[in-house]
Amino acid sequence: MKPKKKIKIYILIPAYNEGPVIASVIQDVQKEGWKNIIIVDDGSTDSTYDEAKKTGVIVLRHSLNRGKGAAVKTGFEAAKKLHAESIVTIDADGQHNPKDIMRLLEVLHKGNDVVLGVRNFDEKHIPRLKVLGNYIGNFFTWMLYGVWVTDSQSGIRAYNRKALNSITIYNDRYEFETEIVREISRNNLIWREIPITVRYTSYDQNKRNKQSLMSAIKTMLRLVMFD
Amino acid sequence: MNLTVLPIAFSVLAVLVIISRIVRFIRKEQGQTLFKLLTTIGVWGSISYISLFPNHIRFVSRQLGFGENLNTFIFFGFVAIFVILFRFLAIFENNERLLTEIIRKQALKGFINRS
Repeated sequence: MKPKKKIKIYILIPAYNEGPVIASVIQDVQKEGWKNIIIVDDGSTDSTYDEAKKTGVIVLRHSLNRGKGAAVKTGFEAAKKLHAESIVTIDADGQHNPKDIMRLLEVLHKGNDVVLGVRNFDEKHIPRLKVLGNYIGNFFTWMLYGVWVTDSQSGIRAYNRKALNSITIYNDRYEFETEIVREISRNNLIWREIPITVRYTSYDQNKRNKQSLMSAIKTMLRLVMFD
Repeated sequence: MNLTVLPIAFSVLAVLVIISRIVRFIRKEQGQTLFKLLTTIGVWGSISYISLFPNHIRFVSRQLGFGENLNTFIFFGFVAIFVILFRFLAIFENNERLLTEIIRKQALKGFINRS
């Protein structure tokens, strides 16, 4: 029995300047049978909003770029208003495999509140700088919140209603990924990690707004200083 | 006057900055005011002067009553600057969050109206 037939599930995709790929990412998700899709266009300056609109899904728009954390927070609010029971976030650049959505939900519906997708960092196609950036993220997450996660920066995650109601996001930018771990710990949420597959394309690697090692370090400094 | 590489480098840099500011002021570039020009000349002129004549600062220090404790005074100056800088950063961060809330509410307002 597939969970998507039983309860109201929403797929949340925060997007910033993903015009060339956003439509195909949405269509890939739709092909897997998911109809409830929320796109939060985080103040894109390209055709992201128009491309997403053409696919007929729910599209929200930030008038200015405020960061992935802010976009996810807006998506969470929208999902709550739509009485979502579960929500899965994926990245808009097409790096995540939509088939993993079902795998995350299956684990979520076995008594977990949050399921974190974990990239396999042993795979050779994953850039080494990304691996290092993620390790720094994991280390700071552990140092700040006492929780060791294998992939603190993963964008593919599933949450149930309890998690949606209890998680509070303060940070606007990439540091929110780490903040979620703090919220899991603070609210005693039951969480699991499962391996997921990623596809690093030339589009993804050449993107100007991708998260670099430097931005990972800046993110951690912001967490230490202002959190 | 015992000239070494560092004082000369500082002086050359100071002269370049001052000349650049004077040129921008004469060209009446946007945002160039007499106050900015005088501040630049004051700050960079002082840097150049102190690097060339460090003994004069010791004399001023003694006259002001700091004696040989000027370094302590400078240290506290740095601490004060860092505290002020941190306060500014906190204020900026708070303003950023307020701006985000406005943007988010605006996006959700449209959503509620449509749904």
